[in-house]
Formats: sequence, structure tokens, C-alpha cells
Amino acid sequence: MIIEKVFNKWILLFLFTIPVFGFVFEEPYYITLTTKVVILGIAGIGLNLALGYCGLISFGHAAFFGLGGYVTGILSFHAFNSELMFSWPFVSSGSSDMLVIWPIVILSSAFLALIIGLLSLRTTGVYFIMITLAFAQMLYFFAISWPNYGGEDGLSIYMRNSLPIVNTMDPLTFYFICLFWLLVVIFISAKLINSSFGMAFQAIKQNEERVKSVGIETFKVKLLVFIISGTITGLAGSLYTDLNRFISPSVLNWQMSGEIMIFVILGGIARLYGPIVGAAFFIVLEQTLGGYTENWQFWLGLILILEILYVRTGILSLFEKKFKYEK
Amino acid sequence: MKNKILNIKNLSKSYGAFKVTDEITIDLHFDEIHALIGPNGAGKSTLIKQIVGSVKHDIGSIILDQEDITDLTDVERAKIGISRTFQVSSIIPQFSAIDNIVLSLLDKSSKTFQLFKSIRNNKDLYSNAKKILKEIELLEKSDISASDLSHGDRRKLEVGLALAMDPKVFLFDEPMAGLDESGTKMMINLFKKIKTNSPILLIEHDMDAVFALADRVSVINYGKIVATGTVDEIRKNELVRDVYLGYEI
Repeated sequence: MIIEKVFNKWILLFLFTIPVFGFVFEEPYYITLTTKVVILGIAGIGLNLALGYCGLISFGHAAFFGLGGYVTGILSFHAFNSELMFSWPFVSSGSSDMLVIWPIVILSSAFLALIIGLLSLRTTGVYFIMITLAFAQMLYFFAISWPNYGGEDGLSIYMRNSLPIVNTMDPLTFYFICLFWLLVVIFISAKLINSSFGMAFQAIKQNEERVKSVGIETFKVKLLVFIISGTITGLAGSLYTDLNRFISPSVLNWQMSGEIMIFVILGGIARLYGPIVGAAFFIVLEQTLGGYTENWQFWLGLILILEILYVRTGILSLFEKKFKYEK
Repeated sequence: MKNKILNIKNLSKSYGAFKVTDEITIDLHFDEIHALIGPNGAGKSTLIKQIVGSVKHDIGSIILDQEDITDLTDVERAKIGISRTFQVSSIIPQFSAIDNIVLSLLDKSSKTFQLFKSIRNNKDLYSNAKKILKEIELLEKSDISASDLSHGDRRKLEVGLALAMDPKVFLFDEPMAGLDESGTKMMINLFKKIKTNSPILLIEHDMDAVFALADRVSVINYGKIVATGTVDEIRKNELVRDVYLGYEI
């Protein structure tokens, strides 16, 4: 455990230094790449709370990621075009201010997670997986058939949304905004995991019947975990739209849900920093192997199979073991 | 009715044509241990599951402390004071012994939805948990992962989880199965002590323990209660000897 904590500090150190190197050596590509790792890491940490710590195998987290992305895209699309978004109950022409967008993303993601959770958490196992998947696919097909916001082609936003004082178009500045959110999400998740609420949801993963028998309302606990999880993933979707200045239905597709799940599994289920490592590994693989072959996912699949068969608890545990043997 | 804390009337459950419990009427008085004995498959554990609400009964009613709890869910029943142990140890395997007990204390202390305060800093919860661990003689193993505890220690931990809830009634399903002599002795003394606060409905195959503990005994066979009485009355009952105790007793 102590070794894992040391390793986690190394991860943070890397996250602080790599983009700075990118800046010093004028390689913005590396800043963008690390920004992507950070954003997808946030999405993974969100899913990890539900999947890793509470045993809720959601295959529909793309719904939250996509919703966060689309809310951001739609708000800024209207703001840049000065187009009326709605006129009731009040008049709104969207917003390009991140301080306005983030709370709306957080609230809308939480609301969607509440609706999906209320229905899907009545089931368990494969039924839960299928219901969460079905919700995300419904949103995916809705986005495809919504011509106002680009339909299948997606929606471009001309400029990254803004924050007071700072220039969000600067890659390093935007990177540190994302890193700020990652640190906030890590802080909140760590607090939750070590709280009495965290004790309850981690116990549910292991033995829900026992948890019920001591009078804990497991449905409410799972619902709240699902809402927090979906909200964090929705926030990641918002940052992802700002990073790319583009949002398309592909982020709502089941493949996105699968990718977020892969970050969690690769890095280490129920390990706080696991999804960051998983996302970094995924992106490095995509960038390196993707240069040689279009079908780089074949190798990803192979690595995933080997990991599940021989490591199971993720890349972090692999390093942990190595450190232990070296001692 | 006044001296009854738990009153079960005509509780029945069938799986197809097979009646697991057949119009069972049984009660539990204040300050007593009521043992439920019978051969394997007689319906004892199913009856416990129906009382706690994890198995839905077909007909019948359950009254706890003059409140009809028949339509309550399993969690609601646990909240208002029904605490149980499982026939097969059901603990949180990756939690330490003390964390298992703390989990059991959460609802009573309204701490379940405390989101950001570290549970480790809650000295009251942990000191209460230690008292319970001392009571079940597991204090020195408080930090051992529950999955690493011996079978006997897991049985003790099960009872500890039930104790932590400070319930109105205990439903113990074979709590002494697999315990050594000293463990059984500890349980007998513990049950005698706690029954004054919360009476116990006890399922147990260890007849020595049952006869040492029980104020009343009911015998169940093929889902029906065939006899109820004091230990002496049950020992002398010909039918009970026939179906369960055997002639040698």
C-alpha cells in the first residue's frame, strides 16, 4: 500500500512535468496528448467509483461522457452564433464561459445518472449491463438523428470556451485546467472511499445481502455512487469537447463505454490512480502501434487478455509487485 | 400477547407443490431463547429468511413488538430491529474483523451517508466495535482480514455483526456450527447474557447447547411445527423423539 502511494506520487509528478517539457521544447503535441490522458483519466475515475469500488458494471458511461460533451458543445455553439437556444422559462443564448458551462454539465450529468440509475439499479448482473448499454445507445441514436447539432457529422465549436483571466486557447493553460479537475476528482474520490459511505459501497461490492441485513439501504447507496460516478464522467466529456473543439455522436457509442472500462481494467480496478495509468497506456499504445497498423486494437485486445489472465488487478499492481521484489 | 415480542402466524411458503413452511405459528417472548430444531430440510432456515424478509412468504403475518411488519422489506425489518446470522458465514471478506463490526454499526449511528468524513477518525464507532469484538473474543484479531479468519472465528464475527445492531430480536441460524468447545461455551454464556435485552430465536443442531440454553423449544418437520414446549417437555415427547431426537436421548 505504501509502495502504491509512492507510485501514485510519481504519476502526479509525470503529469506535472511532461507538458512542461512539451512547452519548453515547443512540442504542443505532447501537451495535447497528456491533456487527453488527464481527461480520459477523469472519465475512468468516475467509472471506477461505480465499477471498481461498488461492483456496478456499467456499460453505458458513454452516455454521461457524451452528455457532458454535447451540453458543452451546444451551449458554446449558441453563444458563438448568438443564436437563441430557448426562450422559456427564460431567454438563453448559451454560454461560452466555462464557469457557467461546468455547473450545467454537472447538474445535467447528475440528473441523467439519477434517471438511468433509478431504472437500471433495480436489476443486477448482466441485466444491469444491458440496461446501461441500452440507455447510452438510445442517446447515441438520438444524437445521430438530431440535425440541429450536426447529426452524424458532429458539432464544431470555433473557439475553446473561456475562463476569466486565463487564455484557454493556450495548450498548457488548458492542460492545467484539466489537471486541476483531475486533482479535484482524485481528492473527492479519496474522501468518498475512506468515508463511512465508502465503507458501505465497498461492502456492497463484496456481499450486498450482508449489507442489507445490517439495515443499510443498498439501493440508495448504489444510486448515489452511480450519480457521483456519472457526474464525474460527464465533466470529463465537457473537457473533451473543449480539448477537440468538436463533439460527435461517436463519444456516445458503446465503444466509448468500452474504452472507459478498458482504462479502469488496464490500470487496476478499485485503484484510485488506476484509470489514469490505464488511459495513458491506452493512448501511448494508440499513438505508437497506430503508426504501424490501423488494427492496433488487435494488440490492445491481446494485452487485455494477458492482463486479465495473469495480472487481473491492473498495471499498477504489476509495478507494485516489482517494487516489492526489488526491496 | 403482551409478553410476546415476535409473533408469527400461519406463515407458509411453497415452491410449486412443495411446502417449505406450512402454516407455521410460533412466537418469541421477552427475555427468552426459543430454539427451533428439526432435521435438515425441515424448513428452519427458510422460516428465518421469511422472518427477515429475504424470502417472500405466500400467506401469514409477522408482528414485531406489536407492529405488523409483514409487508416491510428486508432492509426495513433490519432497521426496526431484526438481526440475524446466516447459516453459512456471510461476512465482508476483504474487510478486517473490526471493519465488519463498524459496518454493522453504521445504520444505527446514522453514519451511512456521511460522504467526506474519514471513517477511521470516528473513535466512537471503533471503540464500540472493540467492545463487541471483546465480547466475542476476537479483539486480538480485530485487524485480521475476515477472509483470513478461521471458520470458528467467522461464526463468532457473524454473531458480532448481529450484536452490533442492538436489535429487538436475534435470529441465529446455527451460530455454533464448527465452533470448538471453548467457542461453544463462550457463545452459550454470551447468549444467556444478551437474551435479557433482545430475545433469541435459535436454530441449532448442537443439542447440548440447545438444552443448556433454551427456555422453550419448537420442533419443525416437513415445514410444520410438530411440538412446542420446555426442554423437559420436548425431551419426553414421543413424536419428537421419533422425528428428530432419536430414542437414545
